[in-house]
Formats: sequence, structure tokens, C-alpha cells
Amino acid sequence: MWYHKPVVNKELLQSLPNLRIVASSGVGVDHLDLNLLSSFGVKVSNTPFIVSTDTADLGMALMLASSRRLVEGHEMAVSPDTEYFPADWLGAEVSGATLGIVGMGTIGYKVAERAKGFEMKILYHNRSQRKKEEENAVGAVYCKKIDDLLQQSDFVLLTVNLTPQTHKLIGKRELELMKPTATLINISRGLVVDQDALVEALQNKVIKAAALDVTYPEPLPRDHPLLKLKNVIITPHIGSATKKTRRIMMEEMTESIQAGLAGLPIPHEVL
Amino acid sequence: LSKKVQAIYMWWHRPVIDRELLQSLPNLKVIANSGVGMDHLDLKLISSFGVKMANVPRAVSTSTADAGMALLLASARRLVEVHHIAISSNVDYCEADILGVKVSGATLGIVGMGRIGYKIALRAKAFEMKILYHNRTRRKAQEEQAVGATYCEKIDSLLQQSDFVMVVVSLTPQTRNLIGKRELELMKPTAILINISRGAVVDQEALAMALQTGVIGAAALDVTCPEPLPRLDHPLLKLKNVIITPHLGIKTDKTNYMITEEAVENILAALNGLPMPSEVLPS
Repeated sequence: MWYHKPVVNKELLQSLPNLRIVASSGVGVDHLDLNLLSSFGVKVSNTPFIVSTDTADLGMALMLASSRRLVEGHEMAVSPDTEYFPADWLGAEVSGATLGIVGMGTIGYKVAERAKGFEMKILYHNRSQRKKEEENAVGAVYCKKIDDLLQQSDFVLLTVNLTPQTHKLIGKRELELMKPTATLINISRGLVVDQDALVEALQNKVIKAAALDVTYPEPLPRDHPLLKLKNVIITPHIGSATKKTRRIMMEEMTESIQAGLAGLPIPHEVL
Repeated sequence: LSKKVQAIYMWWHRPVIDRELLQSLPNLKVIANSGVGMDHLDLKLISSFGVKMANVPRAVSTSTADAGMALLLASARRLVEVHHIAISSNVDYCEADILGVKVSGATLGIVGMGRIGYKIALRAKAFEMKILYHNRTRRKAQEEQAVGATYCEKIDSLLQQSDFVMVVVSLTPQTRNLIGKRELELMKPTAILINISRGAVVDQEALAMALQTGVIGAAALDVTCPEPLPRLDHPLLKLKNVIITPHLGIKTDKTNYMITEEAVENILAALNGLPMPSEVLPS
């Protein structure tokens, strides 16, 4: 499976009596009904770890591009109407700012490692606290309550899985807890954020800006307000989109399929 | 009024400091620049009038290093291109056509390992990048080890091995057109050039040609010559694989504040006959 296609439903599974395995690209399996697949005796695999580094890199890229107004700046630099660069055109500093990571799994931790290179102050919220050595290695401070993280962060970066618990994790209440100068970065899943609440928050300057690699749906309908806001950067779900990583993903998926068909233990099986 | 002026705090290359201005300000003691580059000033001329000069190296280095990394990441992952795809009315694109280049673990060649270059190395290290550097002089061993940087005495070997070439030198007669046709041809065809130094350090015509013919993969330029580039048909403005930003290296509210602080420190020191924290001599 690439990019959540084909849609795996009861109809499809009934029509493929000899289907043994579904190999899904990427780490997220929120688009698959695991119980349904299991009931048909079909195994599932993903490509969990190979995507982490590129996704963390993209999170950093979005944070930097947003705070330094890169997309806007490029437009100004190449626009036929530009005669000079205004002296009062400013961005916000990333180095030394506070980054709040929501979801400190493999990807979240890699973001923390990168942010440390920018001397950022790192807060994190997670279902469970990380080991002391792991926290110390990146200078991350645990926020048991997400509210504490939201109130103190200049950048809030979402790296959770999509589950019933994280659905609309960031809604009106959470956005209002954030600083009016804060930026929301989403590299997890579109549904983790209440998109309508986000649009309102951005329009009313409740938060300063957003940078989203993921939305719901993907792509957004062409008349969606998020596409028009000046303080929003949207990328088309490119977290793992590098040549090197895609190649390795394909290799891993092939390995899983071959093992599945041979009845051998499946690498990266999702249970 | 002209007799009262003892200090000039320059903002974005204004006012223009020429012989006429210097002659009209007999009590001028110091000129403080709101940036680190001094290539727009005739240092010898100013010095001949007995006027001291200062720049603000400490204030600008962090935000400029951040901007360098922002451009490196944006260019590698084709951020500007794909953002336009994501918001455009025509949504038809092929996923395989928008793949970028992996940053983590790639090789970064830093040309000019001064304050800013070193801060870039610190940031790149957090991305587990392999770091090469070329500089007039070699850095101390501990400094190299702290960021895992390898010295390339010849710029050629840096150019041949790097996936990303970051140019962070001051503009001097020696660094003018430092990156020209020859240097671009030494780079990998997949390599990305990032310039956060001065436009004149890169031979722009050679760069445009190299980008058009696939000699290198892409470029990201915070600085050009001139700024802005002439609007009518400049080749660099049209290339898909170029990101240009409006000299935003130091443009953050925090850094603006720090620049003024550092400049004022220098001005006060000069007016009080004390040693200046960042005096620039005309050598």
C-alpha cells in the first residue's frame, strides 16, 4: 500500500480469498482496520523506523521556514513588483526559544536531538515519562499536563500516533492555552488537530502561525480557508519523501511480503 | 548640526559614507555598522579621517546560522515548491516527482569557518551530518572534535565530497567569485549550494548556467548581487530549483535588539576613549 490506497474494506477482503499480507508504507496504520484484517487471517506490516529521521528533519524544516518567513520571503524576492527589501520585515528567532514536543516517540525524540543543536529549551508531553538519561541527553523537561507545555512553548510540535485518544487532541481549548506568538507544527496526522478550530485561531490571532505536513483530508478541498491564510505553510505529506528513504521503505515492504508469502516470521509485523 | 555629529549608527548601508560626508562632519569619531559585513565601506578612507569603525559579530551569528540551516532544509526538502503544489488549484502531481534529498547523515561542506560557520557546524552535528570545512586557517583540534569537522586545506576536496555546500565567508578581494564555473563543476550533480555570505562571492552567471544544465542540483540564496535582483528576466528568478530570500539572515526581532545593543556598546566605548569590543581596522 502506498498513500493509503487501495482502501481495504470488507468488500475488498471478501473478493481476495488468497490475500495473505498487506504491506503498508510508512509507520501510521490508522487508515487500516486491524481487527477486520485479522478476522480474515490477513497479516499487516509497516515501515516503522526508517521514516523517523526524515520526518524529524521535516519537522525542523517547517519550524525554521515558518519562524523565518521563508515562503513569504521567497515570494517577495522573486515577485515582479518588488523594488527593494523593507528594513522592518522581521521573523522570529528559533535558537534559544522553547519547543514543546507532543508525543515523544522515536520521531519526537529525534526532533529533540535536532532542536538541542539550536539551544532550544525542550518540553515534552507523552503518555509516559522517558528515562532520565534520555531526558538529560536532550535537556527535555516532562510536562505531565499538556496545558503546562502549551502555555510555555513558542513552538508546539505534534508527533503522536492517531488513536481514539489523540483524535482532536488540539482543539479550541488547547489553542487558547498557547501563546499568541506561538506556532503550531503538525507532522503527525491531520485528525489530531480540530481543523475548524485551528482556522478560527489563526484568523483571530489566537496563535501566530501554523505549518502542516498533514491535514484532513489530504489534499484539502481547493476552497479551504487554510490554503489562503498567509501565516500557514502546508506541505503535501512529505515526511518520508526522500529518495533514499523511499527506496528503503520499498525494500522493507518487499521483505515483509516475501516473508508473509513464505509463511516465515514477518519483519515489521503490526499486531 | 554637522559639527555636533560624533557617531553614526548605520542601518542597512545608509547613509552612504563617502569623502563628502566625512568632510562635512568634522567631529565624527565613530561609525558603527548594524551587521557584520563591512564590504560596503571604504575602510581606508574612513580611517584616514581618524574615524573608528565597528561591526556587530556577536549579535548576528546565531540568527544567520539559523537562516543557513533553514535554507539548507527548505532546499533539500523542496519546501517552497511543494507548498505551492499543496495550495494550488491544480492538484495533479506525481508523488515520485516531489521527492527531496535526505539531510540527516549527509555531508555538509562549510566554506568559511568563522563564528557563523562554526554555529552552523554545531547545528548540523545535531542532524548527524558529516562536516567538512575550508578556511584560511585551521581551527583548533578541540573545536574540530566538538563538531566532528574535518579540515579541507584545498576547497576542491570539500566541493567534490559535499552533498550541501554552505558559503559563509566575508567578502574580500580574495573571496570575490570564489564559487565560479570551475568550483561548480567540481561539485556533485546532486549537490545543493547555500549562500548566506555575500552575492559577489558567487559568480551568478555561472551559477544560473550550472543550475539550468544540471551541473549541480539546487541553490538557496539569502544574498545576491544586487539586492534585489533586477526584475526583468533575471535567470535566477525563474529557476524551479532555486530558493531566494530577501537577505533575512539577521532579520529577527531578538537579533535586531542585540545588534543595536552591541553597536551602542562600541559607540560609547569610542566616544569615551576606551577599547571597543568589536573595532574593525582597515587592514
